[in-house]
Amino acid sequence: MGSKIITFVLGGREVEVMVKPMTTLQAVLRYQLGYTAVKEGCRQGGCGSCTVLVEGEPMMSCLLPVEDVAGMHVTTLEAITPADGLDRVQQAFLEHGAFQCGYCTPGMIVVSKALLGHNPRPTRQEIVDAFAGNICRCTGYEPIIAAVEGAARASASKAAQPG
Amino acid sequence: MTVLEYLVPRSLPEAIGLLERHGPELLVMAGGTVAMPLINEGISLPERVMSLRSAGLTSIEQRGDVLSIGAAATLTQLVAQDGVALLSEAARNTASWSIRNMGTVGGNLFTPPPGGDVAVALLALDARVRLSGPHGERVLPLADFYTGFMTNALAADELLVEIYVPTAVGETAFIKFGRKHANTPAVVTVAIALQRRDGRISAARIALGAAGPHPIRAARAEAAIVGSALESGVIERAADTAAGECRPFRDAIATEWYRRRMVGVFVRRALEKVVEQEQDDVGEGE
Ligand SMILES: Cc1cc2nc3c(=O)[nH]c(=O)nc-3n(C[C@H](O)[C@H](O)[C@H](O)COP(=O)(O)OP(=O)(O)OC[C@H]3O[C@@H](n4cnc5c(N)ncnc54)[C@H](O)[C@@H]3O)c2cc1C
Ligand code: FES
Ligand code: FES
Repeated sequence: MGSKIITFVLGGREVEVMVKPMTTLQAVLRYQLGYTAVKEGCRQGGCGSCTVLVEGEPMMSCLLPVEDVAGMHVTTLEAITPADGLDRVQQAFLEHGAFQCGYCTPGMIVVSKALLGHNPRPTRQEIVDAFAGNICRCTGYEPIIAAVEGAARASASKAAQPG
Repeated sequence: MTVLEYLVPRSLPEAIGLLERHGPELLVMAGGTVAMPLINEGISLPERVMSLRSAGLTSIEQRGDVLSIGAAATLTQLVAQDGVALLSEAARNTASWSIRNMGTVGGNLFTPPPGGDVAVALLALDARVRLSGPHGERVLPLADFYTGFMTNALAADELLVEIYVPTAVGETAFIKFGRKHANTPAVVTVAIALQRRDGRISAARIALGAAGPHPIRAARAEAAIVGSALESGVIERAADTAAGECRPFRDAIATEWYRRRMVGVFVRRALEKVVEQEQDDVGEGE
Protein backbone atom coordinates (compact mmCIF):
# COMPACT_ATOMS: atom_id res chain seq x y z
CA MET A 1 0.00 0.00 0.00
CA GLY A 2 1.42 3.35 -0.94
CA SER A 3 1.53 6.77 0.59
CA LYS A 4 -1.55 8.80 1.31
CA ILE A 5 -2.42 12.41 1.85
CA ILE A 6 -3.39 13.57 5.35
CA THR A 7 -4.78 17.00 6.12
CA PHE A 8 -4.78 18.59 9.57
CA VAL A 9 -4.74 22.06 11.10
CA LEU A 10 -1.33 23.11 12.39
CA GLY A 11 -1.24 26.28 14.45
CA GLY A 12 -4.44 27.50 12.78
CA ARG A 13 -3.34 26.78 9.21
CA GLU A 14 -4.46 23.80 7.21
CA VAL A 15 -1.56 21.60 6.10
CA GLU A 16 -1.50 18.66 3.77
CA VAL A 17 1.21 16.03 3.90
CA MET A 18 1.96 12.92 1.88
CA VAL A 19 2.99 10.11 4.22
CA LYS A 20 3.77 6.42 4.33
CA PRO A 21 1.38 4.49 6.61
CA MET A 22 1.88 5.15 10.33
CA THR A 23 4.43 7.89 10.00
CA THR A 24 4.46 9.56 13.41
CA LEU A 25 3.22 13.10 13.89
CA GLN A 26 6.66 13.81 15.36
CA ALA A 27 8.42 12.78 12.12
CA VAL A 28 5.97 14.76 9.99
CA LEU A 29 6.38 17.89 12.09
CA ARG A 30 10.16 17.75 12.30
CA TYR A 31 11.25 16.32 9.00
CA GLN A 32 8.49 17.24 6.55
CA LEU A 33 7.34 20.56 7.93
CA GLY A 34 10.47 21.79 9.73
CA TYR A 35 8.74 22.31 13.09
CA THR A 36 11.86 21.51 15.07
CA ALA A 37 10.57 22.76 18.43
CA VAL A 38 9.12 19.25 18.56
CA LYS A 39 12.08 17.27 19.88
CA GLU A 40 12.97 13.65 19.43
CA GLY A 41 14.22 12.37 22.77
CA CYS A 42 13.22 8.79 23.39
CA ARG A 43 10.45 7.88 20.89
CA GLN A 44 9.07 5.81 23.76
CA GLY A 45 6.57 8.19 25.29
CA GLY A 46 8.87 8.57 28.28
CA CYS A 47 10.52 11.99 28.05
CA GLY A 48 7.88 14.49 26.92
CA SER A 49 10.21 16.41 24.62
CA CYS A 50 7.87 15.74 21.68
CA THR A 51 4.68 16.90 23.43
CA VAL A 52 2.19 18.71 21.20
CA LEU A 53 -1.42 19.70 21.79
CA VAL A 54 -4.07 17.81 19.83
CA GLU A 55 -7.39 19.63 20.11
CA GLY A 56 -5.83 21.43 23.07
CA GLU A 57 -4.79 18.28 24.96
CA PRO A 58 -1.16 17.25 25.42
CA MET A 59 -0.05 14.10 23.61
CA MET A 60 3.26 12.49 22.74
CA SER A 61 3.74 13.03 19.02
CA CYS A 62 6.26 10.17 18.87
CA LEU A 63 3.47 7.67 19.62
CA LEU A 64 0.86 9.17 17.33
CA PRO A 65 0.43 8.02 13.73
CA VAL A 66 -0.32 11.19 11.77
CA GLU A 67 -3.43 9.50 10.35
CA ASP A 68 -4.92 9.80 13.85
CA VAL A 69 -4.89 13.60 13.76
CA ALA A 70 -6.53 13.92 10.32
CA GLY A 71 -8.87 16.91 10.43
CA MET A 72 -7.74 17.90 13.94
CA HIS A 73 -6.02 20.96 15.43
CA VAL A 74 -2.38 20.46 16.36
CA THR A 75 -0.48 23.10 18.32
CA THR A 76 3.29 23.27 18.76
CA LEU A 77 5.53 25.87 20.39
CA GLU A 78 5.75 27.64 17.02
CA ALA A 79 2.03 28.48 17.17
CA ILE A 80 2.21 29.63 20.79
CA THR A 81 4.96 32.14 19.99
CA PRO A 82 3.43 35.48 18.89
CA ALA A 83 4.63 37.16 15.67
CA ASP A 84 6.58 39.59 17.83
CA GLY A 85 7.51 39.29 21.47
CA LEU A 86 6.78 36.32 23.67
CA ASP A 87 3.73 34.58 25.05
CA ARG A 88 3.11 35.14 28.77
CA VAL A 89 4.28 31.61 29.58
CA GLN A 90 7.46 32.04 27.53
CA GLN A 91 8.10 35.36 29.25
CA ALA A 92 7.68 33.69 32.65
CA PHE A 93 10.12 30.90 31.67
CA LEU A 94 12.65 33.57 30.74
CA GLU A 95 12.16 35.55 33.96
CA HIS A 96 12.41 32.49 36.20
CA GLY A 97 15.39 30.90 34.46
CA ALA A 98 13.20 27.89 33.70
CA PHE A 99 15.54 26.48 31.08
CA GLN A 100 19.23 25.82 30.66
CA CYS A 101 19.93 23.64 27.62
CA GLY A 102 16.34 24.19 26.47
CA TYR A 103 15.74 20.71 25.12
CA CYS A 104 12.71 20.06 27.33
CA THR A 105 11.37 23.61 27.06
CA PRO A 106 9.03 23.31 24.05
CA GLY A 107 7.31 20.35 25.70
CA MET A 108 7.19 22.11 29.07
CA ILE A 109 5.64 25.21 27.51
CA VAL A 110 2.91 23.39 25.59
CA VAL A 111 2.01 21.44 28.75
CA SER A 112 1.93 24.72 30.70
CA LYS A 113 -0.40 26.26 28.10
CA ALA A 114 -2.74 23.27 28.27
CA LEU A 115 -2.70 23.28 32.09
CA LEU A 116 -3.43 27.02 32.36
CA GLY A 117 -6.11 26.65 29.70
CA HIS A 118 -7.92 24.08 31.86
CA ASN A 119 -7.05 25.60 35.19
CA PRO A 120 -5.94 29.28 35.30
CA ARG A 121 -4.83 29.10 38.98
CA PRO A 122 -3.28 25.66 39.45
CA THR A 123 -1.89 24.62 42.83
CA ARG A 124 1.75 23.63 43.09
CA GLN A 125 0.70 19.97 43.23
CA GLU A 126 -1.42 20.35 40.10
CA ILE A 127 1.57 21.85 38.28
CA VAL A 128 3.84 19.02 39.45
CA ASP A 129 1.26 16.44 38.31
CA ALA A 130 0.92 18.07 34.90
CA PHE A 131 4.69 17.78 34.35
CA ALA A 132 4.98 14.14 35.44
CA GLY A 133 5.64 13.08 31.84
CA ASN A 134 8.19 15.79 31.00
CA ILE A 135 11.78 15.18 31.97
CA CYS A 136 14.25 17.99 32.52
CA ARG A 137 17.89 17.06 33.06
CA CYS A 138 19.08 20.58 33.85
CA THR A 139 16.89 22.80 35.97
CA GLY A 140 15.75 20.59 38.83
CA TYR A 141 12.16 21.58 37.94
CA GLU A 142 11.77 24.26 40.64
CA PRO A 143 12.24 27.21 38.25
CA ILE A 144 9.77 25.62 35.82
CA ILE A 145 7.15 25.30 38.55
CA ALA A 146 7.85 28.89 39.62
CA ALA A 147 7.45 30.06 35.99
CA VAL A 148 4.00 28.48 35.69
CA GLU A 149 2.97 30.00 39.02
CA GLY A 150 4.30 33.34 37.76
CA ALA A 151 2.42 33.07 34.46
CA ALA A 152 -0.79 32.22 36.34
CA ARG A 153 -0.34 35.26 38.60
CA ALA A 154 0.41 37.51 35.63
CA SER A 155 -2.81 36.38 33.93
CA ALA A 156 -4.81 36.86 37.11
CA SER A 157 -3.56 40.40 37.69
CA LYS A 158 -4.15 41.29 34.02
CA ALA A 159 -7.71 39.93 34.30
CA ALA A 160 -8.23 41.99 37.47
CA GLN A 161 -7.25 45.27 35.79
CA PRO A 162 -10.22 47.50 35.00
CA GLY A 163 -11.04 48.11 31.34
CA MET B 1 9.24 1.37 9.02
CA THR B 2 7.68 -1.43 7.09
CA VAL B 3 3.99 -0.91 7.79
CA LEU B 4 2.08 -1.39 4.55
CA GLU B 5 -1.33 -0.32 5.75
CA TYR B 6 -2.91 1.47 8.70
CA LEU B 7 -6.57 0.59 8.98
CA VAL B 8 -8.95 2.85 10.88
CA PRO B 9 -12.39 1.20 11.07
CA ARG B 10 -15.34 3.42 11.95
CA SER B 11 -17.44 0.81 13.74
CA LEU B 12 -17.08 -2.41 15.71
CA PRO B 13 -18.52 -4.64 12.93
CA GLU B 14 -16.07 -3.10 10.47
CA ALA B 15 -13.20 -3.71 12.91
CA ILE B 16 -14.20 -7.34 13.43
CA GLY B 17 -14.57 -7.80 9.68
CA LEU B 18 -11.05 -6.46 9.09
CA LEU B 19 -9.65 -8.72 11.80
CA GLU B 20 -11.35 -11.74 10.22
CA ARG B 21 -10.09 -10.83 6.77
CA HIS B 22 -6.46 -10.18 7.75
CA GLY B 23 -6.13 -12.78 10.49
CA PRO B 24 -3.78 -12.79 13.45
CA GLU B 25 -1.05 -11.00 11.48
CA LEU B 26 -3.06 -7.80 11.91
CA LEU B 27 -1.75 -5.82 14.89
CA VAL B 28 -4.59 -4.31 16.89
CA MET B 29 -3.83 -0.98 18.50
CA ALA B 30 -5.95 1.28 20.71
CA GLY B 31 -4.04 4.20 22.26
CA GLY B 32 -0.73 2.90 20.95
CA THR B 33 1.21 3.73 24.12
CA VAL B 34 2.41 0.14 24.43
CA ALA B 35 2.45 -0.82 20.75
CA MET B 36 4.09 2.30 19.28
CA PRO B 37 7.29 2.30 21.36
CA LEU B 38 7.90 -1.29 20.18
CA ILE B 39 7.31 -0.29 16.57
CA ASN B 40 9.55 2.78 16.92
CA GLU B 41 12.33 0.57 18.31
CA GLY B 42 11.93 -1.98 15.52
CA ILE B 43 11.09 -4.70 18.08
CA SER B 44 7.64 -5.08 16.55
CA LEU B 45 7.47 -5.04 12.74
CA PRO B 46 3.82 -5.39 11.77
CA GLU B 47 2.78 -5.18 8.13
CA ARG B 48 -0.76 -4.17 8.93
CA VAL B 49 -2.05 -2.27 11.93
CA MET B 50 -5.65 -1.59 12.88
CA SER B 51 -6.50 1.33 15.13
CA LEU B 52 -9.53 1.06 17.42
CA ARG B 53 -9.56 4.79 18.12
CA SER B 54 -12.48 5.59 15.81
CA ALA B 55 -14.46 2.35 16.13
CA GLY B 56 -17.01 3.81 18.55
CA LEU B 57 -15.74 2.12 21.72
CA THR B 58 -14.96 5.20 23.77
CA SER B 59 -17.99 5.84 25.97
CA ILE B 60 -18.15 5.46 29.75
CA GLU B 61 -21.72 5.09 30.96
CA GLN B 62 -23.52 4.23 34.14
CA ARG B 63 -26.21 1.64 33.31
CA GLY B 64 -28.16 0.76 36.42
CA ASP B 65 -25.63 -0.41 38.98
CA VAL B 66 -22.98 -1.22 36.38
CA LEU B 67 -20.41 1.17 34.97
CA SER B 68 -19.77 0.23 31.32
CA ILE B 69 -16.42 1.32 30.00
CA GLY B 70 -15.70 1.18 26.27
CA ALA B 71 -12.41 -0.62 25.66
CA ALA B 72 -11.04 2.40 23.81
CA ALA B 73 -12.05 4.98 26.46
CA THR B 74 -8.91 6.85 27.48
CA LEU B 75 -7.34 6.81 30.92
CA THR B 76 -8.11 10.54 31.10
CA GLN B 77 -11.80 9.72 30.67
CA LEU B 78 -11.48 7.21 33.49
CA VAL B 79 -9.93 9.84 35.78
CA ALA B 80 -12.87 12.14 35.02
CA GLN B 81 -15.72 9.70 35.67
CA ASP B 82 -17.08 10.01 39.18
CA GLY B 83 -19.05 6.78 39.53
CA VAL B 84 -16.25 4.61 40.95
CA ALA B 85 -13.60 6.36 43.05
CA LEU B 86 -11.16 3.42 42.99
CA LEU B 87 -10.99 3.62 39.19
CA SER B 88 -10.30 7.35 39.04
CA GLU B 89 -7.59 6.91 41.64
CA ALA B 90 -5.97 4.03 39.76
CA ALA B 91 -6.10 5.95 36.49
CA ARG B 92 -4.63 9.06 38.10
CA ASN B 93 -1.71 6.92 39.26
CA THR B 94 -1.04 5.56 35.79
CA ALA B 95 1.60 7.07 33.50
CA SER B 96 1.54 10.83 32.76
CA TRP B 97 -1.03 13.33 31.48
CA SER B 98 -0.10 12.95 27.79
CA ILE B 99 0.00 9.16 28.02
CA ARG B 100 -3.38 9.12 29.79
CA ASN B 101 -4.79 11.25 26.97
CA MET B 102 -3.77 8.51 24.53
CA GLY B 103 -3.70 5.21 26.41
CA THR B 104 -6.93 3.27 26.83
CA VAL B 105 -8.59 1.31 29.60
CA GLY B 106 -8.80 -1.76 27.36
CA GLY B 107 -5.12 -1.47 26.45
CA ASN B 108 -4.25 -1.49 30.15
CA LEU B 109 -5.55 -5.07 30.43
CA PHE B 110 -2.98 -6.16 27.84
CA THR B 111 -0.04 -4.31 29.40
CA PRO B 112 2.44 -6.77 30.92
CA PRO B 113 3.54 -6.29 34.55
CA PRO B 114 4.74 -4.09 36.13
CA GLY B 115 2.12 -2.26 34.01
CA GLY B 116 -1.61 -2.77 34.28
CA ASP B 117 -2.36 -0.54 37.26
CA VAL B 118 -5.96 0.11 36.19
CA ALA B 119 -6.42 -3.62 35.60
CA VAL B 120 -5.48 -4.24 39.25
CA ALA B 121 -8.29 -1.93 40.37
CA LEU B 122 -10.70 -3.58 37.91
CA LEU B 123 -9.80 -6.99 39.33
CA ALA B 124 -10.54 -5.82 42.87
CA LEU B 125 -13.91 -4.54 41.64
CA ASP B 126 -14.78 -7.93 40.11
CA ALA B 127 -15.06 -6.43 36.62
CA ARG B 128 -16.21 -8.48 33.65
CA VAL B 129 -15.04 -8.09 30.08
CA ARG B 130 -17.06 -8.36 26.90
CA LEU B 131 -15.25 -9.97 23.97
CA SER B 132 -16.64 -9.82 20.48
CA GLY B 133 -15.79 -11.79 17.33
CA PRO B 134 -17.31 -12.85 14.01
CA HIS B 135 -19.27 -15.65 15.68
CA GLY B 136 -20.74 -13.62 18.49
CA GLU B 137 -19.94 -12.28 21.91
CA ARG B 138 -19.08 -13.55 25.35
CA VAL B 139 -18.70 -12.00 28.75
CA LEU B 140 -16.23 -13.35 31.29
CA PRO B 141 -14.84 -12.31 34.64
CA LEU B 142 -11.62 -10.37 34.30
CA ALA B 143 -10.06 -12.98 36.59
CA ASP B 144 -10.64 -15.58 33.85
CA PHE B 145 -9.36 -13.28 31.09
CA TYR B 146 -5.76 -13.68 32.22
CA THR B 147 -4.13 -17.00 31.45
CA GLY B 148 -0.40 -16.27 31.87
CA PHE B 149 2.38 -13.80 31.21
CA MET B 150 1.19 -11.83 28.16
CA THR B 151 -1.42 -14.47 27.34
CA ASN B 152 -5.17 -14.19 27.74
CA ALA B 153 -8.50 -15.73 26.84
CA LEU B 154 -9.02 -13.53 23.78
CA ALA B 155 -9.28 -15.62 20.59
CA ALA B 156 -7.30 -14.48 17.56
CA ASP B 157 -10.44 -13.19 15.84
CA GLU B 158 -11.86 -11.40 18.88
CA LEU B 159 -11.63 -7.89 20.24
CA LEU B 160 -12.12 -6.65 23.78
CA VAL B 161 -15.00 -4.23 23.45
CA GLU B 162 -16.32 -3.34 26.88
CA ILE B 163 -15.58 -3.63 30.58
CA TYR B 164 -18.38 -3.88 33.15
CA VAL B 165 -17.84 -2.73 36.70
CA PRO B 166 -20.47 -3.34 39.38
CA THR B 167 -20.72 -0.09 41.31
CA ALA B 168 -22.06 -1.21 44.70
CA VAL B 169 -18.92 -2.54 46.31
CA GLY B 170 -18.55 -1.36 49.90
CA GLU B 171 -15.17 0.05 50.88
CA THR B 172 -12.13 0.34 48.62
CA ALA B 173 -8.49 1.38 48.79
CA PHE B 174 -5.73 1.73 46.21
CA ILE B 175 -1.98 2.16 46.64
CA LYS B 176 0.64 2.12 43.92
CA PHE B 177 4.20 2.05 45.20
CA GLY B 178 6.93 2.99 42.75
CA ARG B 179 10.41 4.47 42.86
CA LYS B 180 9.03 7.91 42.10
CA HIS B 181 5.73 9.53 43.04
CA ALA B 182 4.37 9.75 39.51
CA ASN B 183 4.83 8.31 36.03
CA THR B 184 6.67 5.31 37.34
CA PRO B 185 6.45 1.56 36.96
CA ALA B 186 5.08 -0.21 40.03
CA VAL B 187 7.19 -2.01 42.59
CA VAL B 188 3.78 -3.22 43.68
CA THR B 189 0.20 -2.05 43.21
CA VAL B 190 -2.56 -3.02 45.64
CA ALA B 191 -6.30 -2.55 45.18
CA ILE B 192 -8.78 -3.70 47.79
CA ALA B 193 -12.56 -3.95 47.91
CA LEU B 194 -14.20 -5.01 51.17
CA GLN B 195 -17.71 -5.54 52.37
CA ARG B 196 -18.50 -5.63 56.04
CA ARG B 197 -21.58 -6.70 57.92
CA ASP B 198 -22.05 -6.25 61.67
CA GLY B 199 -18.42 -5.25 62.05
CA ARG B 200 -17.09 -8.34 60.28
CA ILE B 201 -15.62 -8.71 56.82
CA SER B 202 -18.25 -10.49 54.73
CA ALA B 203 -16.42 -10.34 51.40
CA ALA B 204 -12.87 -9.33 50.48
CA ARG B 205 -11.05 -8.88 47.22
CA ILE B 206 -7.35 -8.11 47.34
CA ALA B 207 -5.77 -7.54 43.91
CA LEU B 208 -2.03 -7.23 43.34
CA GLY B 209 -0.04 -5.78 40.44
CA ALA B 210 3.63 -6.46 39.68
CA ALA B 211 3.33 -9.48 41.96
CA GLY B 212 2.71 -12.19 39.36
CA PRO B 213 2.62 -12.84 35.61
CA HIS B 214 -0.49 -10.61 35.39
CA PRO B 215 -2.69 -8.79 37.90
CA ILE B 216 -3.64 -11.44 40.49
CA ARG B 217 -5.99 -11.90 43.42
CA ALA B 218 -4.49 -12.79 46.79
CA ALA B 219 -7.10 -15.51 47.31
CA ARG B 220 -5.58 -17.03 50.43
CA ALA B 221 -5.23 -13.66 52.11
CA GLU B 222 -8.86 -12.93 51.27
CA ALA B 223 -10.01 -16.23 52.75
CA ALA B 224 -7.86 -15.62 55.84
CA ILE B 225 -9.76 -12.47 56.82
CA VAL B 226 -13.37 -13.11 55.81
CA GLY B 227 -15.46 -13.49 58.93
CA SER B 228 -13.10 -11.43 61.10
CA ALA B 229 -13.22 -7.82 62.22
CA LEU B 230 -10.79 -5.48 60.48
CA GLU B 231 -8.31 -5.06 63.32
CA SER B 232 -4.55 -5.05 63.50
CA GLY B 233 -3.96 -8.79 63.98
CA VAL B 234 -6.24 -9.58 61.07
CA ILE B 235 -4.55 -6.97 58.90
CA GLU B 236 -1.13 -8.49 59.70
CA ARG B 237 -2.46 -11.93 58.81
CA ALA B 238 -3.71 -10.69 55.43
CA ALA B 239 -0.38 -8.96 54.72
CA ASP B 240 1.72 -12.01 55.63
CA THR B 241 -0.50 -14.38 53.66
CA ALA B 242 -0.46 -12.16 50.57
CA ALA B 243 3.33 -11.83 50.74
CA GLY B 244 3.57 -15.60 50.96
CA GLU B 245 1.24 -16.45 48.11
CA CYS B 246 2.21 -13.79 45.52
CA ARG B 247 4.51 -14.67 42.62
CA PRO B 248 6.72 -11.61 42.12
CA PHE B 249 9.53 -11.25 39.59
CA ARG B 250 12.79 -9.42 39.23
CA ASP B 251 13.28 -6.57 36.76
CA ALA B 252 15.12 -3.26 36.52
CA ILE B 253 12.77 -1.76 39.12
CA ALA B 254 12.99 -4.27 41.96
CA THR B 255 14.13 -7.74 42.93
CA GLU B 256 11.72 -10.58 43.61
CA TRP B 257 12.68 -10.51 47.30
CA TYR B 258 11.95 -6.78 47.61
CA ARG B 259 8.64 -7.03 45.78
CA ARG B 260 7.47 -9.82 48.08
CA ARG B 261 8.35 -7.71 51.13
CA MET B 262 6.53 -4.73 49.67
CA VAL B 263 3.42 -6.79 48.93
CA GLY B 264 3.21 -7.40 52.67
CA VAL B 265 3.83 -3.75 53.54
CA PHE B 266 1.34 -2.35 51.05
CA VAL B 267 -1.46 -4.86 51.65
CA ARG B 268 -1.19 -3.83 55.29
CA ARG B 269 -1.22 -0.12 54.45
CA ALA B 270 -4.15 -0.49 52.06
CA LEU B 271 -6.20 -2.24 54.74
CA GLU B 272 -5.19 0.42 57.27
CA LYS B 273 -6.39 2.99 54.75
CA VAL B 274 -9.83 1.38 54.79
CA VAL B 275 -9.86 1.70 58.58
CA GLU B 276 -8.76 5.36 58.39
CA GLN B 277 -11.41 6.18 55.81
CA GLU B 278 -14.03 4.66 58.10
CA GLN B 279 -12.80 6.78 61.02
CA ASP B 280 -12.93 9.89 58.80
CA ASP B 281 -16.50 9.04 57.82
CA VAL B 282 -17.52 8.55 61.43
CA GLY B 283 -15.80 11.83 62.32
CA GLU B 284 -17.73 13.69 59.64
CA GLY B 285 -21.00 12.15 60.76
CA GLU B 286 -20.68 13.44 64.33
C1 LIG C 1 5.82 6.60 29.48
C2 LIG C 1 4.83 5.54 29.78
C3 LIG C 1 4.42 5.36 31.08
C4 LIG C 1 3.49 4.35 31.37
N1 LIG C 1 3.11 4.21 32.67
C5 LIG C 1 2.20 3.26 33.00
C6 LIG C 1 1.79 3.09 34.36
O1 LIG C 1 2.20 3.82 35.25
N2 LIG C 1 0.91 2.10 34.63
C7 LIG C 1 0.39 1.29 33.66
O2 LIG C 1 -0.44 0.45 33.97
N3 LIG C 1 0.75 1.44 32.38
C8 LIG C 1 1.64 2.40 32.02
N4 LIG C 1 2.03 2.55 30.72
C9 LIG C 1 1.50 1.60 29.72
C10 LIG C 1 0.29 2.08 28.93
O3 LIG C 1 0.31 3.45 28.67
C11 LIG C 1 -1.06 1.76 29.56
O4 LIG C 1 -1.08 0.43 30.02
C12 LIG C 1 -2.22 1.97 28.60
O5 LIG C 1 -3.45 1.78 29.29
C13 LIG C 1 -2.16 1.02 27.39
O6 LIG C 1 -3.27 1.28 26.55
P1 LIG C 1 -3.11 1.56 24.97
O7 LIG C 1 -4.48 1.73 24.47
O8 LIG C 1 -2.18 2.68 24.71
O9 LIG C 1 -2.45 0.21 24.48
P2 LIG C 1 -2.02 -0.17 22.97
O10 LIG C 1 -0.59 0.10 22.79
O11 LIG C 1 -2.96 0.44 22.00
O12 LIG C 1 -2.31 -1.72 23.00
C14 LIG C 1 -1.37 -2.68 23.36
C15 LIG C 1 -1.83 -4.03 22.83
O13 LIG C 1 -2.99 -4.48 23.50
C16 LIG C 1 -3.89 -5.12 22.62
N5 LIG C 1 -5.18 -4.42 22.65
C17 LIG C 1 -5.42 -3.17 23.14
N6 LIG C 1 -6.73 -2.89 23.11
C18 LIG C 1 -7.34 -3.99 22.60
C19 LIG C 1 -8.71 -4.33 22.35
N7 LIG C 1 -9.71 -3.48 22.63
N8 LIG C 1 -8.99 -5.56 21.83
C20 LIG C 1 -7.99 -6.43 21.55
N9 LIG C 1 -6.68 -6.17 21.78
C21 LIG C 1 -6.36 -4.96 22.31
C22 LIG C 1 -3.23 -5.13 21.28
O14 LIG C 1 -2.56 -6.34 21.12
C23 LIG C 1 -2.24 -3.98 21.37
O15 LIG C 1 -1.18 -4.14 20.52
C24 LIG C 1 2.95 3.54 30.36
C25 LIG C 1 3.36 3.74 29.05
C26 LIG C 1 4.28 4.73 28.74
C27 LIG C 1 4.71 4.93 27.32
S1 FES D 1 10.31 11.58 22.14
FE1 FES D 1 8.21 11.38 22.52
S2 FES D 1 8.15 11.17 24.66
FE2 FES D 1 10.28 11.13 24.28
S1 FES E 1 16.58 22.70 30.32
FE1 FES E 1 17.88 21.08 29.72
S2 FES E 1 16.51 19.40 29.81
FE2 FES E 1 15.33 20.96 30.69
